[in-house]
Amino acid sequence: MIPARANRLQLAAVLALLVVLHFYVRPRLWGPRISPDFLFVGLMLFAMRSGPGASAVAGFLVGITADALTPAKFGAGALAHTVVGYLASWARAMFFADNALVNAGFIAVGLWMRDLLVLAASGGGDRSFLAELALYSPLQALTSALFALIVLLAFREWFSIRLDA
Amino acid sequence: MASASERSYTRRDTVLFCVCLGLSLVGLFAPAALGLSVAAALRQSVLAPLVWLQVRAEEGKTSRVRLRAITAERDSASYLAQGLPSLLAENERLRQLLGLSHRLSSPYVAAEVLHQPQATDGRTLLLSAGSRDGVAAFDPVVAPEGLIGVVLSAAPRTSIVMTWAHPEFRVSAFTVSGNAAGVVAPSPSGAGEGALEFRGVPYRDSVSVGTLVLSSGLGGVYPKGIPVGTVTGIVSEQAGWERVYRLLPAANPGSAAHVLVLTSPNGDLARAFPSDSALAAQRRDSLERIRVADSVAQAAREARAQRAESLAATRRDTTRARPRPPLRPDSAAARRPAAPAPATVPGAGAPPPTAGAPPAAPATGAPPAASGTGVSPAAPATSAPPPKAPPAGPPSKAPAVGSPLQPAAGAPTQKDTAR
Repeated sequence: MIPARANRLQLAAVLALLVVLHFYVRPRLWGPRISPDFLFVGLMLFAMRSGPGASAVAGFLVGITADALTPAKFGAGALAHTVVGYLASWARAMFFADNALVNAGFIAVGLWMRDLLVLAASGGGDRSFLAELALYSPLQALTSALFALIVLLAFREWFSIRLDA
Repeated sequence: MASASERSYTRRDTVLFCVCLGLSLVGLFAPAALGLSVAAALRQSVLAPLVWLQVRAEEGKTSRVRLRAITAERDSASYLAQGLPSLLAENERLRQLLGLSHRLSSPYVAAEVLHQPQATDGRTLLLSAGSRDGVAAFDPVVAPEGLIGVVLSAAPRTSIVMTWAHPEFRVSAFTVSGNAAGVVAPSPSGAGEGALEFRGVPYRDSVSVGTLVLSSGLGGVYPKGIPVGTVTGIVSEQAGWERVYRLLPAANPGSAAHVLVLTSPNGDLARAFPSDSALAAQRRDSLERIRVADSVAQAAREARAQRAESLAATRRDTTRARPRPPLRPDSAAARRPAAPAPATVPGAGAPPPTAGAPPAAPATGAPPAASGTGVSPAAPATSAPPPKAPPAGPPSKAPAVGSPLQPAAGAPTQKDTAR
């Protein structure tokens, strides 16, 4: 299916649900450093169904939100999410098929890449930088990919994704 | 070859991406103050609902954690509260024991009672102190409440105590007022298990209920003044010979957890045991004495008033009566011990007190000791005026009350009247 035919309301409902999960459920979960990033999952799902430009704008908004809520380096999150959103939409349109597991792995790689860009833009270069990329970021990518897989399986009709993996 | 729409679509995406990328770089390389102000503005406007949502989530998580902590604290408090009464009781006993050890003048050894599950645990106790600590056989063992028993045998680290519940236990004792002495022994089985008997008390020495019994110090085993028990009643009595009283033991070996072994008992230990029972016994004794004194004074007042009334009646009849020679009441009583009592009673109808009648005790409630004041009981019977004008006062007990307790008040009056 092409994005133009997708039900925008259904996609908006799923994204709204992810936003609520991110701000109301995620604080209640276990370790915040390895909990799934629901906003990023929503960005990736949006990028799968939208063009690179819209995904870049969505990534910019998500990044700005992250920058506003995280007292680190303003703009780093916006930059990372913009790049990842644009590349995700472009790469999926070019290379990836509509497969649930592939999409889940795609989300995991995107999250790890997001963290890499954020840390790089924030200027971190010490041991914590490596520990974040080597330990916590893969764990968070794994949990986010699992959650994304659940969302894809639960809303496969809405996202029109083939599950013939 | 791509169509025009696809080219514009790609160009638009590229433009949007470049715009977003440029804005991100602007924010990234902008001054930190600008970035912070923009972030604050976003949090207070667009992101305010999301921040509120996250605050609620954090509060819920904190409340849940707090509820869990409070529940754990409540459970811990409940667990501790279960053992609190026993801890308080042990603390109280240790405090009492500590106070007793400070008051004791003779050397002692503190020991713990190692209770055993046997049924005879109350008769013999195993102590945690032995001969290495200075404990020897026949050392008295006391608790804050009173006497527990005596050391039967002492091993290097432990010792065996024969408590007062043992059938062979004996201790020489006397009452706290000192008016009765005897031997305290456990009650035989079936006749008051768990109680003591105060045996060998002379029949003439009556002991009231509630009297505290202390060790007398005779025999050389137990020092003087250790509370043994409190009199609760009479077990038996042999008329004219002895009475056996039942005692409530002062200390309970079954509940004793810590005791003191008096290694060199000497002197009077009564001051070391100012227990409530001793104070109560002394208080009761004082009250009894005050009550007796009050009854004596009341009887004296009544007798004096009655004598005054009879004197007035005698004065009224003096003019018609034939004058009699002056006569001292005592001499009259000595000469006429069996004078007709009804003639001396101002108010007729009362039984006449005779010379051998019991004195004021029946009327005043005074103990028999009150009769030993030297006042002759027959004196009023003979010194009373003739019953020519009986007054209207309460005559029934008047002679009995006034006769033995009336000192010499009536005699001068009588002599004055005769004159």
